[in-house]
Amino acid sequence: MATVHNEIDNWLVADLHGELSADERSALHTHLVDCAGCRKTHQATKLMNKILEETLAQEKPDPVFEQRMLAEFRNRIPQRSGFAKLLADLMHMRAVQIAAVAAILLTLVQVGRMITGENMIAVRDRERYVQAQPAAPQSRVAPSQPAQAGTLAESDELAAGRARGFAPSTPASSLAKEAKNKTESFAQAERTIVTGSNIPTAAEPAPKPAETPAPELANRKLVRNATVELEIVSFDNAVQKITAFANEEHGYVATTDSQKQANGKLRGQVVVKVLPENLDHFLQKVRGLGELKNQTLGTEDVTKAYFDTDARLKNAHVMEQRLIDMLKTKTGKVSDLLQVERELGRVREDIEKMQGELKYWDSQVQFATVTISLAEKDMEEPAAFLLKERSQLALYAPDVEKIYNDVKSLTSQKVQITNAQLNRDYSGRISAQVSVLIAPEESDAVIARVKGLGRVENFQTQTERVAQGGTGMSENAKTKRDKVELNITISREEQEQALQQTSLRIRTSSVDEKAKELRVLAEKEGGRIRNSTFSRDPDGREFANLSLRMPMKNYSVLMQSLNSLGKVENVSVQRQDRTGAQIDEANAPADISIQVYSQGNIVSHESGLLATLRRTLAQSASAIMWSLRMIGVAIAFLAPWVVAIVVIVWITKRAIRARGK
Amino acid sequence: MDASEREQYRAAIHGDREAFEMIIRTHSRTLFAIGYGILQNREEAEDVVQDALVKAWKTRWRVREPEKFPAWLAAIARHRAHDVLRRRRTVPFAHETVEISGMEPIDTTAVDQQLHSALAALPELHRAALTLRYFEEMDYRSIENTLGLTNGALRGILGRALASMRKQLRPALVSMD
Repeated sequence: MATVHNEIDNWLVADLHGELSADERSALHTHLVDCAGCRKTHQATKLMNKILEETLAQEKPDPVFEQRMLAEFRNRIPQRSGFAKLLADLMHMRAVQIAAVAAILLTLVQVGRMITGENMIAVRDRERYVQAQPAAPQSRVAPSQPAQAGTLAESDELAAGRARGFAPSTPASSLAKEAKNKTESFAQAERTIVTGSNIPTAAEPAPKPAETPAPELANRKLVRNATVELEIVSFDNAVQKITAFANEEHGYVATTDSQKQANGKLRGQVVVKVLPENLDHFLQKVRGLGELKNQTLGTEDVTKAYFDTDARLKNAHVMEQRLIDMLKTKTGKVSDLLQVERELGRVREDIEKMQGELKYWDSQVQFATVTISLAEKDMEEPAAFLLKERSQLALYAPDVEKIYNDVKSLTSQKVQITNAQLNRDYSGRISAQVSVLIAPEESDAVIARVKGLGRVENFQTQTERVAQGGTGMSENAKTKRDKVELNITISREEQEQALQQTSLRIRTSSVDEKAKELRVLAEKEGGRIRNSTFSRDPDGREFANLSLRMPMKNYSVLMQSLNSLGKVENVSVQRQDRTGAQIDEANAPADISIQVYSQGNIVSHESGLLATLRRTLAQSASAIMWSLRMIGVAIAFLAPWVVAIVVIVWITKRAIRARGK
Repeated sequence: MDASEREQYRAAIHGDREAFEMIIRTHSRTLFAIGYGILQNREEAEDVVQDALVKAWKTRWRVREPEKFPAWLAAIARHRAHDVLRRRRTVPFAHETVEISGMEPIDTTAVDQQLHSALAALPELHRAALTLRYFEEMDYRSIENTLGLTNGALRGILGRALASMRKQLRPALVSMD
């Protein structure tokens, strides 16, 4: 009941509007019986409802309101005719919209390609294709011939060519028929030739299908060639045998040639001509001579070219005869006669050329050519070996120039200097390079002498065996030593990199005094002070830095004696071992850098509350600056994207609104 | 919403003009009620209905679910009415009231005028609900659908609207009693 009372307004209005359920209505009425206040409200609400109904009924639209709306609508949106409506409807279909977007994207891609020139290639390809198209029909049989002939010519150009060559005077239709027959027979013949392992030759009666006329195949001009590569024991022996085989097969040896290699082996080529029908037999025999490395067997069909030339030759003969007749009968101007004379000369030249060609082909067809390459076994075995020795020697010496001159003075007939160079740069650094060629028997002695001139930092020898006249190994070939090439590099000792670098600190109370003591100690052990500094900082700490170089052999003695100076700290040793180099380790330089220091005042003026505060402030300020910078970077990174997105959204909204209106 | 109604909305969305004109017949009074509720001016409300119908026809393809077509139509009308209201606020308001008071006899219109001003004082959603109810005698369910309200909310709105008007019109009502 409490709910009804609290929401009495809602309940009363809903009741007046007839929107209460039966239960709700009974609940409301029960409450109204009990509650006088709500009864009063009920009366007032009823009155209000009545007033509203009456007043607003006046404002109701008139009965023809719908008609008016409809008329106005029709007026403002005229009925569209078929196509425009269809178009408009289409525009609103999701599929069409997607298709349109895809089309736009595709167009953009194409435009991009055009701008970047990517499709220039495609265009060129197309052009080429277009150019190729008109060329194709030209190679076909003339269009005046029946279609049958056209298709045949396409399938077998050879047949068409032959047909033309053979019967230029036959009418087109019969020609086509003939061409068809020939095509079939040739196709058959070609198959047997290509697939058969035992290749039938032109002269041999090859197995023919029943409908194939025999003379057709006999007229074919086939040039057969074979190449054989053999490895044999003895060249001369092989040539003799080949000659014998050739005679057996009614052939002859056309040419032979041979070359003698440095290792005494022979290599050569024999060209044999045999009758085509005997070719296979001959090849079988030749194969027995040695190890077969390679063999090729080829057949070239020159029928078309042959008969083309033949036909042209006939035409040329006719032409020649006509020109001769012209000369005999005509009595024209001298210039005309000369013209005819010149033409006759040209025709005769052509005739000779063509006759020569035909003769050449005839000879080629008559005999098969076999090219036999012969090589004796172990062709690649080297004749001799040469030992090439190359040495690199790096020397360190106190006086570079003196050593340089010493090396130069070694020159003799057996020691030749090929290159000598002495370099001195602005800072006074000096180095020298000498290249020497030494006769093999002297080499060891000379190298030992050069090594004695200074401290050897590096010595490398490289020996290479070069095979002569072949590759690989040989049991019989002799080995000879070649001249030794020696490259010497001379540098000053100072420039040498230390073998071992040591750094350490010594803490002491009297820096100056101990530094002097250290100096004395070092000099006693053969060390050389290269560099020394002394400094005192504001806190009263003193530092003396000394760097010295000494031979490795005295290193450990010095290190032990250092303990007497003060507390040795922070010792670090770095050693550079040079592998593969022959070095004199005892005399190799070792660098030691020593810092002698005192502790100074205990309290630094840079400590205490104020200093700490100052440092903290400075650090926090720099941290803030750093974060500011990072924010700037982030903004610079994001801003363009944000702007771009906002612009796109704005444009899209505008577009949608424009479309809506 | 029954199937035939739904089919009608679907056809209208797909550009069936006859279906759309049928919708104009059945829904234009509702739209008028909404427009009048906001503007309280018949001519303007009629214009609003016109504009809303034209706009609805032009942009009908935006509605993906036919069930929501009536609510969408009502929303267009409401937006349109708001546009008109915004534009009107820049123009002096007095003209209208003067006209009304000039036209009607003073006696009977005392309550009328008070009623209108009480209506004007209501929130616009309340006015729309009232007009839908009193013009078209629409049942609560239809009003809920049109204005996108729940049953409880609509009851509350109507109850509060009537109560507040009752309070404003109390002197007049007392005199009438």
